[in-house]
Amino acid sequence: MSLTVNLLLNGVALGMLIFLIAVGLTLIFGLMGVLNFAHGAIFAWGAYVGWAVYGATGSFILAILAGTATGFVLGFVMERFFIRPFYGNHVAQILLTLGLMIVLTEGIKIFFGPNILGFDKPELLQGVVTILQDPFPVYRIFTIGVGALVLIGVHYLLSRTKYGIIIRAGVQDPEMVQALGIDVRKVFALVFAFGAGLASFGAVIAGPSFGSLHPEIGMQNQLAAFIVIVIGGIGNFVGAAIGAVLVGITQTLMAYYLPEAALAVNVALMALVLILKPEGLFGLRR
Amino acid sequence: MRERIFNNKWLLAAVLVLLAILPFVGTSQFLMLMLIQVFILAVYGMSYDLLLGYTGIVSFGHAIFFGTGAYSVGILLTKMENPNLLFVAFLIAIVFSAVVALLLGVLSLRVKDVYFSMITLAFAELFFIVAEKWSSLTGGNDGIPYIRVPELFRERVSLYFIALGFLVVMFLFLRRVVDSPLGRVLQAIRENERRAESLGYNVLQYKLVSIVISGMVAAMAGGMWAVLQRYVSTTVFSLDQTISALLMTIIGGVGTLTGAILGAGVITFANEWLSSLASVHPIFERWLIFFGIIYIVIVMYFPKGIIGTIRDKWARSSERGKRDAAQTDQRGKSVL
Repeated sequence: MSLTVNLLLNGVALGMLIFLIAVGLTLIFGLMGVLNFAHGAIFAWGAYVGWAVYGATGSFILAILAGTATGFVLGFVMERFFIRPFYGNHVAQILLTLGLMIVLTEGIKIFFGPNILGFDKPELLQGVVTILQDPFPVYRIFTIGVGALVLIGVHYLLSRTKYGIIIRAGVQDPEMVQALGIDVRKVFALVFAFGAGLASFGAVIAGPSFGSLHPEIGMQNQLAAFIVIVIGGIGNFVGAAIGAVLVGITQTLMAYYLPEAALAVNVALMALVLILKPEGLFGLRR
Repeated sequence: MRERIFNNKWLLAAVLVLLAILPFVGTSQFLMLMLIQVFILAVYGMSYDLLLGYTGIVSFGHAIFFGTGAYSVGILLTKMENPNLLFVAFLIAIVFSAVVALLLGVLSLRVKDVYFSMITLAFAELFFIVAEKWSSLTGGNDGIPYIRVPELFRERVSLYFIALGFLVVMFLFLRRVVDSPLGRVLQAIRENERRAESLGYNVLQYKLVSIVISGMVAAMAGGMWAVLQRYVSTTVFSLDQTISALLMTIIGGVGTLTGAILGAGVITFANEWLSSLASVHPIFERWLIFFGIIYIVIVMYFPKGIIGTIRDKWARSSERGKRDAAQTDQRGKSVL
């Protein structure tokens, strides 16, 4: 019993971690339809800047702020100067964002060096608590909490506020929104930047959970982000969160019972969902 | 007519003659090795162009076919212990990848656009993992070393001509395919899938044919790659392998076949040149960054690739070309 609970808890923690990586991409890829392969690189920049600020100031809150700001600025610049002419043009987006990904990743190697860097947990969040006789790291509880807060916050923003309505309407019918007197280009730029900011925010939270950083960290986790979005249903924000938790739990269970296949389970799950229900578990058929 | 300039028989023949006399004018072994790589990768790029440029489907799993070909040939040559059975190995590899392509197509062509890209990405990842984990067959992370190939395929000059011949034959074959009634239907699907469907064409079947042909050609390229390297590792199944097909096609020009050949050349030589710069100045240690910049510049300033851009310029300068330019413009828009 306690083993099951423990595995499930770990699965949820891993799922929330994946969700934090994917959350920005759900906006950029899910809502705006941009195949952004530079997402992982923005994630990595967030993590590295967060690491540097944390190391310099010792304040984890400052690290989160700095990391998030980095992603926001990077996202804004990317959208403004590179992505903007290529909405709806997937082939161009792939090549363009791959190029940006390489430039950003190599940039990390230039600024921070190509080696692995250790990322310690803040003192307050170290240690373990006992849940049903089994130890469980405090930081994972923190991750689950932050993931849940982000989920609720962004969901509220998208579905309950005026900005959310503008964003969703702008994505669905940009011309109509423009005709209503709203600068759609500005909306797109801000959504893209917001998505990038969320990615780098998630990166600073995820960094200590990984325990170490390396320049390819974003690329490594990017695929998982795409997978949970597709599983949840492209464009469905809550779906992505459920997809992430599903992937997290499956992966944890597989890692325990059938470690050989743990690597394949993500992609197998995605392939299965796409074959059986192409629009994703919670997506609407287009 | 629109293919007039770069599929000009005489220009292509001249390039071919030039390439054919190259080994006899004291060309270095190194350059020849590079060119052999270009020839093989060009075939791989052209096979991708059949999908991307002529049928209009964006696959993220093209490495599956390249890898299947490479591993099949590698494993068969090792197991059969007689290098002269190379052609049998190729035949089996081609048939096997045709089956793989058919299965992959049946499973994934039911979904469209991004969904198709994602599902092919998933399958490619599965193949990669299988190649890594099924080590009794594939050698796992060590790959398959010391593949024995016939003497003819070891000798640099003869291999050069075999690879060149391979490229020419495959180019003519694919040219024939895209100019055939079948190819016309594929292009109709690329332009407007619903229209093709309402005209009575079974779109799914045509797409399946396209992916099977593309898969078989890519598998041959993979097999040749295994023969050239005499070594196969999991990288043939990697996402990078798919991306390189995408790059070759886009850099050269989507939907041109010749573009993929040029793209293969550009990528192979740029790769070599940029990585060799690292010893010149420490700033070039991060030479990959230039590759990234090249991608960005190509998308932003040469969206039709090298061949497409030149062809447009050329077409504009001639009276008759104006109509062609309009056509290529439309093509560019719908594919890119």
